Amino acid sequence: MQKILVWDLPTRLFHWLLAAAFAAAWLTAESDTWLALHVFAGYLMLGLVAFRLLWGVIGSRYARFASFRFGPRAAMAYLQETLHGKAKRHIGHNPAGSWAIYGLLGLAVAAGLTGLLTLGGEENHGPFAGLLSYGLGHAFKELHEGLASAMLALVGLHLAGVAVESLLHKENLAKAMVTGCKDGETAQAAASPRRFSAMALLALVLAGGAWQFKGYALETPQQPYRPFVGPTLPDNKVWRAECGACHLAFHPSLLPARSWRRMMAEQDRHFGESLGLDPASTREILDFLENNAADRQLTEAAYKIDRSVPAGETPLRITDTPYWQKKHRGIPAETWRDPKVASKANCAACHLDAEQGTFEDGAMRLPARLGK
Amino acid sequence: MKKPLLTALLFAALPAYAATPLEIQQSYAAEAKQQNPAFKEFSAARGEQFYRAKSAKGSSCAACHTDNPKAEGRHEKTGKAIAPLAPVANSERLTDPAKVEKWFKRNCQDVQGRSCSAQEKGDFIAYLRSVK
Repeated sequence: MQKILVWDLPTRLFHWLLAAAFAAAWLTAESDTWLALHVFAGYLMLGLVAFRLLWGVIGSRYARFASFRFGPRAAMAYLQETLHGKAKRHIGHNPAGSWAIYGLLGLAVAAGLTGLLTLGGEENHGPFAGLLSYGLGHAFKELHEGLASAMLALVGLHLAGVAVESLLHKENLAKAMVTGCKDGETAQAAASPRRFSAMALLALVLAGGAWQFKGYALETPQQPYRPFVGPTLPDNKVWRAECGACHLAFHPSLLPARSWRRMMAEQDRHFGESLGLDPASTREILDFLENNAADRQLTEAAYKIDRSVPAGETPLRITDTPYWQKKHRGIPAETWRDPKVASKANCAACHLDAEQGTFEDGAMRLPARLGK
Repeated sequence: MKKPLLTALLFAALPAYAATPLEIQQSYAAEAKQQNPAFKEFSAARGEQFYRAKSAKGSSCAACHTDNPKAEGRHEKTGKAIAPLAPVANSERLTDPAKVEKWFKRNCQDVQGRSCSAQEKGDFIAYLRSVK
């Protein structure tokens, strides 16, 4: 018995990159601020699985699917033997571990694809942008979350299996996935570490990361990078000049049409001030507001605000809509007190696309992260 | 037809009519004379006093436009930046009569709780023009 190479370098690199990508995706799942990273982690997982499928055919000895082609019955039998403490040691993947691999690869693909469908439906981005309704996007999100949870559960089983096997056969399997080496006979060794393929894989991943995040390196304090750029929304010169004079020109898509009608009807007492707009400007602005109101669902925010406002209510403040309140519940009090924020009406303090009115989930940064 | 109304209509009909700050000040002189036959001329000193004085509503022009009309102001409630008022710091100021009238209408109502007289408006412009 001596130290022999079992896991080639690309297999180990794939394993740890997939683990890191899944961890990153899981940790950024609930956060709009980190959406760009979450989406990258998803693309990375899909790319890694594609690589692994290829490597399962052209990789070295123990990376090939042929070396761990076990049926479900073999996997069950192996699990039972393990429970009785008499499972046979495998140099490569054992039958139960093989099924964890099949499951994790399948779930990564399913979670990745439903993630892309969510991205297309809810955010109007990615390959499926514009092809799905918000409602359908939301349905895929539920499925996406379920698949991710199943994957986490399987990761847990995989780790438990590694721990049990390591104890049973008195070898550190986690370490073997780092060094690539196990105890065995020379004849059992994998032929080569395949360093060149590993470097190529790493270069591809790094290039993908650089492509995805290059905007952060090029941004300036005046022009923060917007990882998600929404659609170009209708604009109007009179609206932007008049409404944008005293505050951010809140895009019409942020309130229902009935709210805008009330706003203009009550323009002589507009939050304590009188607008005094001439009739022609009033007409033009109201037309623009009504034609692009939340009811028209021009953006995800519009769709969700419109759905959240009860039919009998006509809020004048965007901050009074249930959707706004739900989305801002987690903002700490000191962030609101930040001099760069000053007012809840100051959307642009955090939303990089407030002027454009698109309010992309992924275009939001708390002022602390915007730099001084 | 009364002259102020005629002036207002003229402004409304020519919203982008470009003028100099002096021309706009002069247009208020005619109106001031009509409102008060004893009217002589506008005073930058009186305008400055008006700019800084706290109104009965507890506000002032300076509250948003700051003590220095050459500085960038800030909306009291929303925090939105306001470009400097003095033409010396902002060449676009006092060049569009309709815009000048619109903001007098709004801000006199909000700060003073009433509309401003032509005398007050002229003094105000005279003050802004005097800022060097």
